[in-house]
Amino acid sequence: MDGNELLGRLKRLSEIEDRNKDIHSLTYAQFPGTHCPLMGAAMAIRGIDGAVMMIIGTDECAYYTKHMTIYSEDWGGLDGRCVSVTIDQHDITFGCGNKVEEAFKELMEERKPAAVFLVTTCVPEIIGDDFDAAADILTERYGIPVMAVHTEHFKCENHMPGVERTITATFKLMEDCEKNGSVNVLGQRMGRFESTELFRILTDAGVKVGARIPSGCSLDDIKKAPSAKVNIVVNEIGLPLAKKMKQRFGTPYVFFDKFVDPVHISRAYEVLFEALEVPLPEELEALKEKAQRSVEEGKGKLDKVPFIYGNTPFNTYETCAFMSSIGMKPQLIQCHGINDTDDESVKEILKDNDPYITQSANISPMQYIYDVLEPWLYLGHEYAMRLKKKKIAQVHTDMGGAMLGYEVTGYFVEQLILSAEEARTLRDEGINEEKTVTMGMSEMSPMQAMTMKSGQMERGAVK
Amino acid sequence: MSLTRFLPVPSDRMGIIWSLLSIRDAVVLEYGPAGTTHFSMSLYGDIGIEQENRLFTTHMREDDVIMGDTSRLENAIIEIDKDFEPKVIFIVASSCSAVIGTDLRGVCAMVAPKVEAKLITFEQGGFRGDYSVGLREIYKLLSEKIIDGDGKKIEGTYNILGASIGSYRCRADVIEIKRMIKEAYGLECGACMCLDSTLEQIKNIGSGGLNIVLRPEAIETAKFLEKKYGTPYVFGTPYGYRGSMEWLQSIGMLIGKKPSEDIMQELKKKTMSASQYKMYGRMLKRDKAEAYLYGDAETVIGLASFLNDMGINAAYMISMHNLSGLKEIPADIKYMPVEKERLEILKSLRSKLVLADDTSKRFLDCSNTFLRISNPMIDGALVADHMPVAGIRGADMIVEYVSGYFNTIR
Repeated sequence: MDGNELLGRLKRLSEIEDRNKDIHSLTYAQFPGTHCPLMGAAMAIRGIDGAVMMIIGTDECAYYTKHMTIYSEDWGGLDGRCVSVTIDQHDITFGCGNKVEEAFKELMEERKPAAVFLVTTCVPEIIGDDFDAAADILTERYGIPVMAVHTEHFKCENHMPGVERTITATFKLMEDCEKNGSVNVLGQRMGRFESTELFRILTDAGVKVGARIPSGCSLDDIKKAPSAKVNIVVNEIGLPLAKKMKQRFGTPYVFFDKFVDPVHISRAYEVLFEALEVPLPEELEALKEKAQRSVEEGKGKLDKVPFIYGNTPFNTYETCAFMSSIGMKPQLIQCHGINDTDDESVKEILKDNDPYITQSANISPMQYIYDVLEPWLYLGHEYAMRLKKKKIAQVHTDMGGAMLGYEVTGYFVEQLILSAEEARTLRDEGINEEKTVTMGMSEMSPMQAMTMKSGQMERGAVK
Repeated sequence: MSLTRFLPVPSDRMGIIWSLLSIRDAVVLEYGPAGTTHFSMSLYGDIGIEQENRLFTTHMREDDVIMGDTSRLENAIIEIDKDFEPKVIFIVASSCSAVIGTDLRGVCAMVAPKVEAKLITFEQGGFRGDYSVGLREIYKLLSEKIIDGDGKKIEGTYNILGASIGSYRCRADVIEIKRMIKEAYGLECGACMCLDSTLEQIKNIGSGGLNIVLRPEAIETAKFLEKKYGTPYVFGTPYGYRGSMEWLQSIGMLIGKKPSEDIMQELKKKTMSASQYKMYGRMLKRDKAEAYLYGDAETVIGLASFLNDMGINAAYMISMHNLSGLKEIPADIKYMPVEKERLEILKSLRSKLVLADDTSKRFLDCSNTFLRISNPMIDGALVADHMPVAGIRGADMIVEYVSGYFNTIR
């Protein structure tokens, strides 16, 4: 493969007009490709204690999803909350409604779940079985909430819609409640909210935290979610649910993404405390100053450092805009798309840079790109030794998945500085493979790293 | 069959893909949504299959599903051909492309003049049955499309047909089989279909002097090779000592040689020793020495026979896969697709020797003795390639468990 030829297929950020069609994959044949929304749905349901996931799909869809859940305590292991109805040729021709009803009856007789998500996959969506209606019928028949979640992958580019649709479906569980001044957290995908700076700041200010959807909540928490005074949306996958709750229960929401730029974090805190009608905690000023000191340190040590963005737990464009603002040079950004909420960040990036943009989750051809662009840093999962041979340092940010607030800035800048120092060493000395004795995250293949992450996720929450 | 609580039986498509990826230089392109390919990585990684630069997906968007646009498939084929220069690209349909009826053969016929690689399509989307159907299909299509050598015999060689990486300890079994044949007759394996052989080796499989067919799905390929190249075949996997002895003797009859005295003496001695357990069985007052077996049909049948040699009656012989379409399968093995029925049996077992998968283990009470002989493997990782289920070493390991089992029954 020729790296220049591959780059020739891509558009630069300034050239993107149609955000659906102008972001091309590096190659037509991809490996490993993106995750599917079925996986996203599984990630979300795992965090909702007591809810059963019933997959309606091929043996293969059911196998891989179940395989993902069998080592998880949250799921209940092999005999846990993930079950399936596998469809065959007969079901494709005649529909799988009867089979699902029969399976549902078995499920109710054996386990009596408090709520069930009927998760459809590509094939039932193509043949057009009406699972929204089936969910309504089953709700009425058994007296428990049954929610249909549609996860056909051919209509979307990654797993996030699966998470989004699942948490949006929990709206059906909610009931009118009296407001109690608490907050809900919508859309946290990784880690436990209790470990974040935002949680500490809220509890120190006397604000109670209610439902954390989907990362670690019970069905009862969801039922009572409308008692919150404010919804904190920590990822845009929580926005549809927040909007529905605002419309139905009058609950306002604040968008408090996993920002890395202290300016955005500061703004989010201000808006949140204003909505809560609680004074802004004084401690935040000190945290902000600390974060700004990190930024200043980063400016000194990271100026003109070129990088390729693969993936992080943070918002792709806000992160790249922040890195641009401290003088770093984005050369290529891998992403799933560009949203309207990214406009401000896109403008920031374009002030001094115009990186190539490509679809993510296609790492095989990247090695040819490295020879052309010669980045110092790669953010995300890749084969670490392959990067080192190209004198590229990998930036590890997975731990940032369990952070919210100014803590993100300090952590992220520290990782960037460490990696930039490693890149300098690689460039000065070349690689010494003997140095790599233990197999840490950096020595693993992306798949191994992801497997380890999924193991870690069992103890945490949704990725 | 309705509610599936555990891991479903792998589909025909899964059997096809793991078999293709077990051919060293095969390149597989899936025409379908990318999520399935990404999701499959953990399973294929668990069973020891390398995927990078060998497994690709085209992904598929709504436009492709509704309008039947196949341009991304065409472009992907051309691209793989140019970038990796494989001899063959295997194009595998997804459930989506199979349901909408994409004409993969037609697309490949159109693209073929633009590429060097041979294009072979598998249009099953996972709806024709379980992995057993997929294995039959793969062996059949490899016979028709890949095997093409001149058939000039290479003395002292044989082939293995029907090795499937999806089977528990398949690689260890193949290593053991190769060791036994080498020791008994000094023969070398030319090609193993489909495990760790190259496409070139499979292409020239007609040069082997003998085919050893490990599972019934590969019988038709053996017949095809017999007809095309005059290669005789032996059917069966060597399980247990007597089974291994008879298996070696049947090979000897075909090639006109006697197996080495050393290996036959070892087997005779071990057969005698294992038969002592029959006496323990006769001494039982409270319990019956009985076994429950679940797994690949060939494994279940072979091990049931071995257990019988040791006085243990196979009360339940259950195949993990559908048996329809398979010849050479005795009537006393059943296929029980309804998970609930198998569960009820498992929960009722008392003081039995259970040879099955890790899912079955979860439902046994502590009076039973369990040994894993089948995938799915849930507890732990598969590392040792020197611990087979088949052959002499496999039998040694099973005897250890049988010995332990007799200690638990009265």
